Amino acid sequence: MRQVNLTPAPPQGAASSGDVARVGLRMLLALTLSCLAFVARTVPFLLVLTAIDLVLLWWLRSGQLSLRRELKAFGWQTLVILVLYLIRFQDVTGLWAGFKISWQLFLALLPSMVFVRTTSQVRIVQALNKVMPCRTAFVLSTCLKFAPNLLAEIKSIYEGQVLRGARILPRDLTKPWNWLDFIHCVVVPAVVQGMALAGNIAVAARARDFGVRPRRTCWPGA
Amino acid sequence: MSVILRLKDFTFSYPEAVAPVLNRLNLEVETGRCYCLTGPTGSGKTTLALALKGLLSDGSYDGKIDMPGQTDGNSMAVGMVLQDPEVQLLTSTVGAEVAFGLENLCVSPAEMPQRVTAALQAVGLHKPLDYPVDKLSMGQKYRLLIAALLVMEPQLLILDEPGAQLDPDGLELLRNSLRHLKDSGVAILLCEHRPDELLAEIDIFWQLDNVGSLQQGRYQKDTAASTIQPPEPVCEAGEVLLQVENLAFLGVDDQPVWTDVSFSVGRGSRYALTGLNGTGKTTLLRCVAGFLSPQQGQVRILGDAPDASRLRGRLGCLFQNPQKQIFETTVRAEIAFPLKRFGLKTPEIESRVAEALAACAIGHLADQSPHKLSYGQKHLVALASVLAPRPELLLLDDPLAGLDDFHSLAVMELLIHYNRQHGTTLLWTSHDPEAWSGWADQVLHLERGRLVAR
Repeated sequence: MRQVNLTPAPPQGAASSGDVARVGLRMLLALTLSCLAFVARTVPFLLVLTAIDLVLLWWLRSGQLSLRRELKAFGWQTLVILVLYLIRFQDVTGLWAGFKISWQLFLALLPSMVFVRTTSQVRIVQALNKVMPCRTAFVLSTCLKFAPNLLAEIKSIYEGQVLRGARILPRDLTKPWNWLDFIHCVVVPAVVQGMALAGNIAVAARARDFGVRPRRTCWPGA
Repeated sequence: MSVILRLKDFTFSYPEAVAPVLNRLNLEVETGRCYCLTGPTGSGKTTLALALKGLLSDGSYDGKIDMPGQTDGNSMAVGMVLQDPEVQLLTSTVGAEVAFGLENLCVSPAEMPQRVTAALQAVGLHKPLDYPVDKLSMGQKYRLLIAALLVMEPQLLILDEPGAQLDPDGLELLRNSLRHLKDSGVAILLCEHRPDELLAEIDIFWQLDNVGSLQQGRYQKDTAASTIQPPEPVCEAGEVLLQVENLAFLGVDDQPVWTDVSFSVGRGSRYALTGLNGTGKTTLLRCVAGFLSPQQGQVRILGDAPDASRLRGRLGCLFQNPQKQIFETTVRAEIAFPLKRFGLKTPEIESRVAEALAACAIGHLADQSPHKLSYGQKHLVALASVLAPRPELLLLDDPLAGLDDFHSLAVMELLIHYNRQHGTTLLWTSHDPEAWSGWADQVLHLERGRLVAR
């Protein structure tokens, strides 16, 4: 019926099996470091893991990575956890334990964040395809890709609700009776938005015949 | 021309719906023709498009969809681009995005680069195959999605409301692409309530009405807005409520989004901030409201630097897709929520809610769940809940996106009502420099990273 006559282009950036293996190794390293953070109970263990993560950050440094941004997130997370510990234990003796929990959580999340930000989604799918069904690999990689979109949606909901009078500013949330506002005004709409986003992504994938066949092939480029 | 798709007495109902959204539809689609499906918001245009693509899962249907044209294993019969490009881009690079459909059709990887390159050239998107999708403009993303369908060689291409996503330049490029597609035998179905920019390529209009019936011709209520006279301009604005001086903001990779942005807004006036998609209108509103920190310059809003806790109750914000702020179980409770948080007494809350319901003409929906309303009705509920506290300054981010002219007019009249009745100062953004600009006292236009007054 219809033909588009164009000159053929050579394949660009085709992935070799070596590339895929390297991505697989990096993924394995990130997962191992994250798991180690959960079993790390002593300060020396946590310090060693921190040093390894910092070396990893330096090694993979690029425009998409910012230690300042990660440290800012760590600062906020620590603050929230310390406030919760203060409320729970009613004195400062629980603060050190709270700080260690925050430290562990940060070390558990950091390697995965670094891996996702420095590895092409296509390469991740290619690596995952080697060890799991292609549909599962696609779902996993899509979750990684759309996580920032969902965070942006939550941020937008949060900002709108603040100006509608919801008591959800950081200083408001130091009072536990305002947490209900946070759940009501931010968490509930965010869950609704998350489900809507997942539904839209599924329709978009099916609109391009995803799932019509039991298997898929894989784009050879980057 | 041969028929590639035929609908016979097709009826569809959503679960729990009282009446079918599509009612005994009959239509034929021929190769190389461009059809435009018009109708008011909520009339079922998207539902019909989803049915043609076979994407309706929940609900009951009757009748037949015939597809006489056969496709081989390496192509598909119907391709569809949905409304929001952002959620349809499933991969991170241009090449991988276009190849996604080929992967699903199990096309050999060796064959992919040639087909991908051809599809990209067909829509005039000249980017390397490893170019990041995130760095494309909205218009480029839309054309990328069309390429991602063309690569699968569809016989019918459905585009759901391209006008809501594309600026005038993007629509011009889309029109050229449509012409080439028609010439090569592809049938096109546009679901669009403002098809004016694409008129030259449209061969046949269809219209859906609110009871799910389809007939030939264009939905005519769209002309209502053009007969309404813009309101009188505000002769003398009062004290300065918003002062923006030499603002600059850096985006991804420290690239300036805009620089040297300065303007001031007087009490009681109406301002429109226009600019193509991606020019940073939302970013500017977020800087004004204090949710983003500019790299340079300063903002004074309602007498001081922006601070959310100080501005609550005095500044109102309606961000894009306002339905997402809805969380209460009734429309009445949704509108009353901010009033309760601002500490108003119960009689005053009831009076303000009644006023907002009446002004928005949604009084009959007061005790219904806002989650079950149509798109346009949800929009009005969200707007009513922002207007009810009578903010001194109201920022609205593309408040008419996705609305037909009937609902757009309702929203604009509502805004003007609050502007006149309560002196609410308005600053709204629009990706279309012409639309409703006559209703503003001043139009500020963002272009190439600079602000120009029109």
